[in-house]
Amino acid sequence: MSERQVSEREMRAAAPAKMRGSLRPWTRAIIGGSIVAVIAFAALAAPWLAPHDPNEQDLLAQFLPPAWAKNGVPEHPLGTDNLGRDTLSRLIYGSRVAMIVAVAAASGALVLGTALALLAGYFGGWVDWIVSRLVELWLCFPPVVLSLILIVGFGVGLGNVILAIILVDWTRFCRVVRSEVLVVRRQDYIDAARLSGFSHLRTLRREVLPAVAPLVITVLSLEMGIAVIVEAILSFVGMSVESTIPAWGVMIADARKDIYQAVWGMVLPILAITITVLGFNLLGDGLRRVLDPKLRQRAIV
Amino acid sequence: MNGGLLGVALRRVAIAIPLIFLVAVLVFVVLRLIPSDPIAMSVPPNATRDEIEALRREMGLHLPILDQFAIWFGKAIVGDFGRSIAFTQPVLRLIGQSLPATIELVVLAAIFATILGLSGGLAMYQMRGRAGETATDLVSTLVMSIPEFLWAIFFILLFGVALNVLPFTGRLDSGMTVGRHTGFLLIDCLIEGRFAALGSALLHMLLPALALALGTAPLLMRVLRSSLLEVTNEDYMVMARLRGFPERQILLRHAFKNAFLPTLNLMGVQFSFLFGGTLLVEVIYSYPGIGNLMVEAVRNTDLPIIQGVALVYAVAVLAINLAVDLLALFLNPKLRVAK
Repeated sequence: MSERQVSEREMRAAAPAKMRGSLRPWTRAIIGGSIVAVIAFAALAAPWLAPHDPNEQDLLAQFLPPAWAKNGVPEHPLGTDNLGRDTLSRLIYGSRVAMIVAVAAASGALVLGTALALLAGYFGGWVDWIVSRLVELWLCFPPVVLSLILIVGFGVGLGNVILAIILVDWTRFCRVVRSEVLVVRRQDYIDAARLSGFSHLRTLRREVLPAVAPLVITVLSLEMGIAVIVEAILSFVGMSVESTIPAWGVMIADARKDIYQAVWGMVLPILAITITVLGFNLLGDGLRRVLDPKLRQRAIV
Repeated sequence: MNGGLLGVALRRVAIAIPLIFLVAVLVFVVLRLIPSDPIAMSVPPNATRDEIEALRREMGLHLPILDQFAIWFGKAIVGDFGRSIAFTQPVLRLIGQSLPATIELVVLAAIFATILGLSGGLAMYQMRGRAGETATDLVSTLVMSIPEFLWAIFFILLFGVALNVLPFTGRLDSGMTVGRHTGFLLIDCLIEGRFAALGSALLHMLLPALALALGTAPLLMRVLRSSLLEVTNEDYMVMARLRGFPERQILLRHAFKNAFLPTLNLMGVQFSFLFGGTLLVEVIYSYPGIGNLMVEAVRNTDLPIIQGVALVYAVAVLAINLAVDLLALFLNPKLRVAK
C-alpha cells in the first residue's frame, strides 16, 4: 500500500483529540441515532404518513409553496412540484430509497471490504499483495466516476445502484480494517489462540473480528451517509431508480428545471439529504469515540 | 536530494503505467456488460438487419471482447480514442476541448480549499478549550455532511436566484467570445488582453469552485486542528514558549510546520476526489468541462467517450497523488530515508 491511503490514524486524527468543550460522545451518538431512527420510521411508515400518493399529479396545483408561505394551501403542507405532486409525500417516500440504499449498500460494502481486509491483513504475503493492488486500482477512480461507469454497465434500478455502491465503496472498509488487522495480528493473544489449536478461520472469527468490530461499526455508519449521497447523485443525473419511484436526487433534478418557480422544491430535498447524512455522521462520529478505547483514553488525558 | 525525488517520481510513474492499463481493462469489461445494444442507438429505427450487421462490423463489435479490447487499447496508446457515437467527433478532440476548463476549475477550487482548510484549522486550534469550540465543532460536522453538489445547488439558489449577484451558467457572459489559443480560458483572456472577459470568466468560476472547496475544506480543517493539538505539548513547543516567542510565531513556525504533513497527505486524496466532484458541479453550472462531457456521454450511452474520459480521470488522480507525494517528500526530510 502506498502512503496515499487515508489511514485509520488519519481517521482518528479527524476526530478532535480533546473532548473538553466538545459534545460528549454519547450525546453525539444519541442525536445522530435519533435522526436516523426518525427517517427510518418515515421510510417504514410512508404509506400511513404521506398525505398523498407520491406520483399523484394535479396539474391545476403546480409549484405551490409550503402551506406557511403566501399562496400555500393546507392540503399540500410542503407545496407541490412541476406536475402538482405533493412534496411532503415525495420526501417521505424518497426516504425509502435513501434508507434501503444506505442499509443494503453499506452492509454489502462492509462484508466485502472487511472479508478482504481480514484475509489480507491476517495472511499477509501474496493475498495481501493482491488485495492491496486491487485497492490501489480502485483508488485511481474518483468514486462518483466509477459508480457512474458501473451503472452504465449494469443498467439502472435499485438493485444495480446498491451493487454499484458496494463495488465502489468496499475499499473504504478494506483500507481502514486492513491496517487495524495488521496491528491486531501481532498481539500475543492471536498467537495464544493459534497455539491452543484454533484453526485460521476460527482465530479470524473469534479473535481478530471482535478486535476490529468497533472500527467496522463506525465506518459502517459513515458509509451509510456516503451511500445516501451517492444515490442522490446518481438519481440527480437520472441514473438511479426507475422514474416511477420517488427519490430525493430526482426531486432536486426536477425542481432544477424550473429553478425560479421551484425554490422550495429544491431546498427541501437538499435539507432531507443533509439531515440524513448529518445523522449518520454524528452517529458514526459518536460511536467512534465511544467504542474506540484509544480515543477514550486520550479523552481522559 | 533531487536525485532522490527524481527516483521516487520515476518509480511511481513505472507503477502508474500498469495501473492505467488495468483501469482501461476494468472500464472496458464493465461497459461490455451493458444491457442494451450500443448499435441500436446509432442506427435509424428502420435500418435493415444487413445495415446493422455492417455497422457492427465497421465498429468491430462482432469480434471477441479480447480482440475488441486489443484494438481499442492499441489505438488509445497513440491517442486515438475512437469517435463519439452521439457527437460524431473524435473523442480526443472532445476531451481536448473540455479538459482545460476542468483543470482551471480544479486548480481554483484547490486554492480555495487550501486557504479555507488551513486558516480554518488554525482558527479552530486557537479556539481550543473555549466556548466557541463546540460551535465550530458542530458547524464543521454539519458542513462535512453536505456534499459539494448540494453546495452547488444551494449557491445557485442563494447568490444566483435570490440575491442575483453572481452568474451560474456557462463560462462567460452571453455575447462574449474569446479566441482559442491554449484552451485555458483564463490564459486566453490574458493573451488577448481582454480583462473584462477575464473578470467575467472568474466570476463564472467563483460559485462552482467555492462549492467544490466546501466539499473538501472541513476535513482538512479538522485534520490540521488535531495534528496541531498533537504537537501542542511537544518539547520544542514548550521550549519555544519558554524562550518567550510570541504565540503567533510559535504557531506558524513551530507547530504548523510539524503538524502540516498529515494534512498534506490528506490533500492528495481530497484533491483527487475534488476532481471527481467536478462531474456533478459542472453539470449543475452547465460548465463545459469533462464532467459535463462524461454525464452527457453516460446519458447517451456513448461508450467511446466514457472509456476515454475514465482514463483521463485515472491519469489525473495518479498525477495529483504523485505531485502531493513529491511535495511531501520535498517538505519533510524524515520521509527521505531510503527504505
